[in-house]
Amino acid sequence: MSQIAANKPAPDITGMQEADWQARLDKIASDPRMNEDNTTISAASVRKAAMLMLIIGAVGILVTLIGAVSINFRHALGAFEVGVFTALAISLGSLFWILVFHSLNASWPITLRRQFENIASTIWVPVIMIVIVALIEVTQGGVLLTWLDRSGGYNHLLDVKAPYLNAPFFMVRILIYAMIWIGISHILLKWSRKSDETGDRTLGRKARFLSGAGIPLFALSTAFASFDFLMSLDYRFFSTMWGVYYFASCGLASLSAVAIVATLLRKAGKLDGLVTEEHFHDLGKLIFAFVVFWAYISFSQYFLIWYSNIPEETMWYISRQQHGWQWLFVTMTIGHFALPFLLLIWRKTKRTTMLLCGMGIYLLVMVVLDMVWIIRPMVYLNTTATDPGLAGIWLDIAGVVGVLGIFGGVVALKIPKSPLLPLKDPMLHECLHHKNYV
Amino acid sequence: MSDTHPDQTIALQASGIASVQPVARRQPIIPGTKDDGTLSEDPTLRAPLVLGDRSFSEVTDIVCGYAEAPMPKIWLTAFTIAASVAGIANVMILYLIITGVGVWGLNNQVDWAWDITNFVFWIGIGHAGTLISAILCLLKQNWRTAVNRAAEAMTIFAVICAGIFPGIHVGRAWMAWFLAPVPNSNGIWPNFRSPLLWDVFAVSTYATVSLLFWYMGMIPDVATLRDRATLRLHKGVSRGFKMPMPLGDGLALGFMPKPDQIRVLAYGVMALGWRFSSRHWHRYEKAYLMLAGISTPLVLSVHSIVSFDFATSVIPGWHTTIFPPYFVAGAVFGGFAMVLWLLIPLRLFLPNFSDLLTLRHLENMSKIILLTGTMVGFAYSMEFFMAWYGANEYEFAVFANNRVNPAKAPYWWAYWTMIICNVGFPQVFWFRKMRQNPLVIWIVASAVTVGMWFERFVIIVTSIHRAFLPGEWHMFFPTWVDILTFVGSCGIFMTLFLLFLKFLPIFALSELKIVMPQSHTDDHH
Amino acid sequence: MDMKSIMNDAKSQGSIYFPMFFPKPAPKFVSESGNAVYGIVAEFSETPKVFRAAKKVRDAGYSKWDVHTPFPIHDMEEAMGIKTTKLPLMAGGAAIVGVGIAILLQWGTTDWLYPTLVQGKPFDAWQPFVPIMFELGILLTAFMCIFGMLALNGLPRFHHPLFSHERFYRVGNDRFFIAIEAIDPNFDPIKTKKLLEEAGGTDITLIEDVD
Repeated sequence: MSQIAANKPAPDITGMQEADWQARLDKIASDPRMNEDNTTISAASVRKAAMLMLIIGAVGILVTLIGAVSINFRHALGAFEVGVFTALAISLGSLFWILVFHSLNASWPITLRRQFENIASTIWVPVIMIVIVALIEVTQGGVLLTWLDRSGGYNHLLDVKAPYLNAPFFMVRILIYAMIWIGISHILLKWSRKSDETGDRTLGRKARFLSGAGIPLFALSTAFASFDFLMSLDYRFFSTMWGVYYFASCGLASLSAVAIVATLLRKAGKLDGLVTEEHFHDLGKLIFAFVVFWAYISFSQYFLIWYSNIPEETMWYISRQQHGWQWLFVTMTIGHFALPFLLLIWRKTKRTTMLLCGMGIYLLVMVVLDMVWIIRPMVYLNTTATDPGLAGIWLDIAGVVGVLGIFGGVVALKIPKSPLLPLKDPMLHECLHHKNYV
Repeated sequence: MSDTHPDQTIALQASGIASVQPVARRQPIIPGTKDDGTLSEDPTLRAPLVLGDRSFSEVTDIVCGYAEAPMPKIWLTAFTIAASVAGIANVMILYLIITGVGVWGLNNQVDWAWDITNFVFWIGIGHAGTLISAILCLLKQNWRTAVNRAAEAMTIFAVICAGIFPGIHVGRAWMAWFLAPVPNSNGIWPNFRSPLLWDVFAVSTYATVSLLFWYMGMIPDVATLRDRATLRLHKGVSRGFKMPMPLGDGLALGFMPKPDQIRVLAYGVMALGWRFSSRHWHRYEKAYLMLAGISTPLVLSVHSIVSFDFATSVIPGWHTTIFPPYFVAGAVFGGFAMVLWLLIPLRLFLPNFSDLLTLRHLENMSKIILLTGTMVGFAYSMEFFMAWYGANEYEFAVFANNRVNPAKAPYWWAYWTMIICNVGFPQVFWFRKMRQNPLVIWIVASAVTVGMWFERFVIIVTSIHRAFLPGEWHMFFPTWVDILTFVGSCGIFMTLFLLFLKFLPIFALSELKIVMPQSHTDDHH
Repeated sequence: MDMKSIMNDAKSQGSIYFPMFFPKPAPKFVSESGNAVYGIVAEFSETPKVFRAAKKVRDAGYSKWDVHTPFPIHDMEEAMGIKTTKLPLMAGGAAIVGVGIAILLQWGTTDWLYPTLVQGKPFDAWQPFVPIMFELGILLTAFMCIFGMLALNGLPRFHHPLFSHERFYRVGNDRFFIAIEAIDPNFDPIKTKKLLEEAGGTDITLIEDVD
C-alpha cells in the first residue's frame, strides 16, 4: 500500500491552499448579490426608526417612574423587570445561537448570523438594567427579592440559604454573569467583523473553539441568573428545571427577534437573495422547535409539581391559579403553545417572510406574558397594598415598552456599524446556495 | 485490504462491470500520517463522508458484501458466546417465572432495584438510534448516514431487552395483560393516572415506531440485496449452501437451497416490490421526514415518561423537576456510547468499514458524548444545588448521606463510579487528539456505558433504601439471579446485533449515495 | 381536487391491490411476440444525465412515466413535474384521530365507566391524561406515514413488468432508468424511443407486460 502512495503526489493534508481560498473569496465577492448596496445599510436610514424606538423607550421608562410614585414602587419595579428579562432573553438566546452555529460549523444561518451577533452584543443594555435592579433591591433592603430583608429575625429557610442568598455574593454573581455574557458576545462580534476585512479563515476556527468552551459557561450563568432574579422572587420555591425553563424563553425570543429584524432588512431592500425564503424556512423550523420545547419544559415542570403536590412547590402554582391569574394560565397554554404550533406546522407560514415576522412579534408578546406570569403575581403577594388589576395595566405595559424600546433602539443603531452579513465567512459559499429539499 | 470476499467478486461480475477489480481504495492513507483527509481543521472545507474516491457501485459492493459474503471467523465465535449468554437469560427468566420474584434481591424497602435499573438502562441505550435517525436528520447532519442504520437496529434490540424486565417484574407474568387497556373481570380498567401505565403506552409506541422507521429505511437497501441475488441466480454464479465451521472452510451441504434463493425470497418479501421509482421516492422522503419529525418528540417523551415513574412521587431523590430533560440527555449520552462501543471494533474486523465510518464520524460522535455528558453533569449539579437550596433535609440527606459521603453512605462507590464515568471520562474529549483516537473513544464509551448503568442504580436504589423512618432502612444486595439475568440480557442484545450484522444492510446504502459527490445533479462536482 | 380525479386515483390504486375486480383494458400496443407492451425503458449512467433527460421527457408532455434511481435525487420532483403529496394532510388527520381515541379511552374509563379515586386526584383532571394523548397521537401518525406512503405508492406489489428487464436489476446499484408507459396518451413506439435516444439514454428496450 505504501508503494501505491509513493507513486502519487501527496495531496495537501492541512486543508485548502491559500490561492484556492482567495479564488473562492473572489468568486463570492463577484456574486451580484454581494454588492455593497445589498450588504450594507447606512446609518442615516435607520436613525429615524432608532430614535423613534429610543423615544418610545424613554417615555415608557418615564411612565414607569410615574407609576412607581402614583401606584406602587414594587409594581413599577416588577413591570420594569418583565421588560428587562425579556430583553435579556432575546440577547442571551442570540448568544446561545451564535455559540451553537459556530460549534456545529453550520452554514445555513451565516447570512443571518450578523443579526444574532448584533443583538447578542447589545446584551450590555439589559445587563446595566439588571445592575440597576440589583442596586435598588440591595439598597432598599429587598423590594421584590424579599429574602434581602432579614429584619424579620429567625427564619429557618433563609438561615439555611444564607450562604447563597446574601447581598454581597448576589452582586458578585451578577458581575460574573456580566463578564461572561459581554465578554463572549463581544469577542465573537469582533472576530466576525475582523474577518470581513482580512478574510482570515483561521478566525472561524478560533470562534469554534471559543464557542465550545462558551456553551457550559453560558448554561451555568443563564441558569443561576434566572435563579437569582426570577426563582428567588419567592425564596421558598425551588425547581431544578428553572434554568432550562428560562433558557427555553431565551431560545424562542431570540429567534423571533431575528425573524423580525431580518424581515425589516428585507423590506428595506437589503440582503436580497442572501436571506431567502429558504433561510426563513429554517429559522421557522427552529422557532417551531422552541415553541414545542418551551411547552415540553413548562408542562413537565408544572406536571411534576402538580402531581407530587408538595406544599413548598405547589404554592408557586397555587398563587398563579387564583385572583384572575388562571386566565393567564389558559392564555399561555393556548397562545404560547397550541396556536403557534398549529400555525407554524404549515410550510407556508415558515417560508413567507411577513407571516414569519408576524409570528415573531406574536411570540415575543407570548414571551413577555411568560415573564409576567413569573414576576407579576409576586408583586402584591403578602403585601398590604391592593392589586389595581386591569386598572393598573398601563404601568405593566409602560415598563415592558420602555425597556424593549431602548433595547430595540440600541440594536437598530448597531446594525449599520458593520456589513449585514459576515462577508468572508469560511462557509459562506454553502449558505448562498442553501435549499430545503423536503 | 486485498482480501476481497469471493462473493464480492462474483457480485461485480454478475452486476455487469467489465473488469473485475478488488475493492481497494483509490486514494490510500498517506503513509506516516493518520490523516485520511477527514480530519482537516481548515474551516473552509467539509470532510468527505465516503473515503477512497468510491463509485456508487463500489459502495454498493462494500455494503452488500457484508450481508452476502461470509463473515470473518470472529463473528462465529462472538455469536456463539453471545447466544450462549442469551440462553442464560432465558433460563433465568424461566426460573423467575416458575419460582417467583423472591429469587431476586428485592425486599420490602428496596422493591425496585436491578430490574428497573436494567429497564431504564436499556431504554436509554435505544435513544441514540432515534436521535441519529430523527434529530440529526432534521438538523441536516449528513454524517449520520454512516451510523444511522446500525444505531436504529441497536434501538430495537435495546427496547426488546428493556421490555423483558418490567414484563417479568410484575410477578405473575401470566397476568401481564392487566397492563393492556381492557377491563378486568371486575370491570375495572387500568389506572390511567399511573405513570407505569403511561410507560406501557410510551414504550410500546416507541418500539413500534422505531421498528417501522428502521424497516422503512431498509426497504430500498433490501431491494438492492434482492436484485443482486436475483441477478446472480439469473447468471448462474450463486454459491451453494455452506455450514459455517469454527475452523477451516464451511461444510458444503448440497441438499440445502442456495443462499441466494433464500435471499430472493426473504429480501423480496421484505422489499415489498420496491422499484426505486422517483414518484415513490418523493412520498418516501416526505414520509421519512415526517417520521423524523414525530420521532423527535416521541424520543423525548419516552424517557420523560420513564422519568415520571420516579419524579411524580414524593420520594426524596426521585422528585425533582429537571428529571425529564435530564433523563433524555442521559439516554442519548449512554446510547451514543453504546453505538461507538459496538461500531469501533467493526472498523478492525470488517473490510472497508473504516472508509464509511471515518475518523471524522468518530470525532463528531465524541463531541456529542462530550455535549450530552456535560448536560448530564449540569443536571447533577442542579440536583445537588437544589437539594441544598431547597432546604429540605430529607432531600439533602439523600445526596449527602445516601450517595456522596463514604463515611455515611453505603453506596458511595456507586455514586462516585457514576460521577467519574459520566462526568470525568468524557472530559478527555476537549482535546482533539483524544477525539481522533479510536482506542481512547472506545475506552471512554465503555466507561460511559458502565457509568450510565450506575446512574440508574444510584437514582433508584440509593433513594429508596433509606426512607423517612430509619426503622425501614434496608440494604439491597443482588442475588445470582439478578446478576445473571442482566448479563443474559446483554447476551440477547449482542446476539440480535450480530444477526443484524450478518443478514441486513448495516449501512443506509441509498442515503450514503446521497452524500457522495456523484449524486449532485449539476455537472461540475 | 374534484370528484373525478379522486375516483380515478381510487381506481388506479384499486387495480393494483385488487386486479380481479378491475378488468384490464385492451392493450394499445402489442409487441412482435403478441404480448401487451408495458412501455419503453432507457438506461443512464450518471446523475446529471438522467436529470437533464427527465426534464426533456417532462417538456415533451408525458404523464405516465417514471425515473428509477438508486437514491432519491433532490430537485427530481421539479424536473419530473410531480405534485407534492397529500401525505402530510393524511398524517395530520391520523394525529387528530389518535388524540381523540386517547381522550375517549381515558375520560371514558376514568371519569365515566368506573370512576376510581386514586392518589386524591380529581376524576376529571386533564393533567394525567396528557402523556397517553401524546403517545397515541404519535402512534397513529406514524402508522399513517408509513402505511399511507406504501398505499399511495401502490406497494406491496411483487410483480411488475419492469422486473422482466434484466438490466433493470442494477437500479439499486448505480444505474438510472427512465420508463415511459404505453398507456400514456403521447406514447408512440418510434417517437418515444427517439426522444429517449436524444435525451442520452442507452440500452433502450421495449418492455412487455406479461402476467
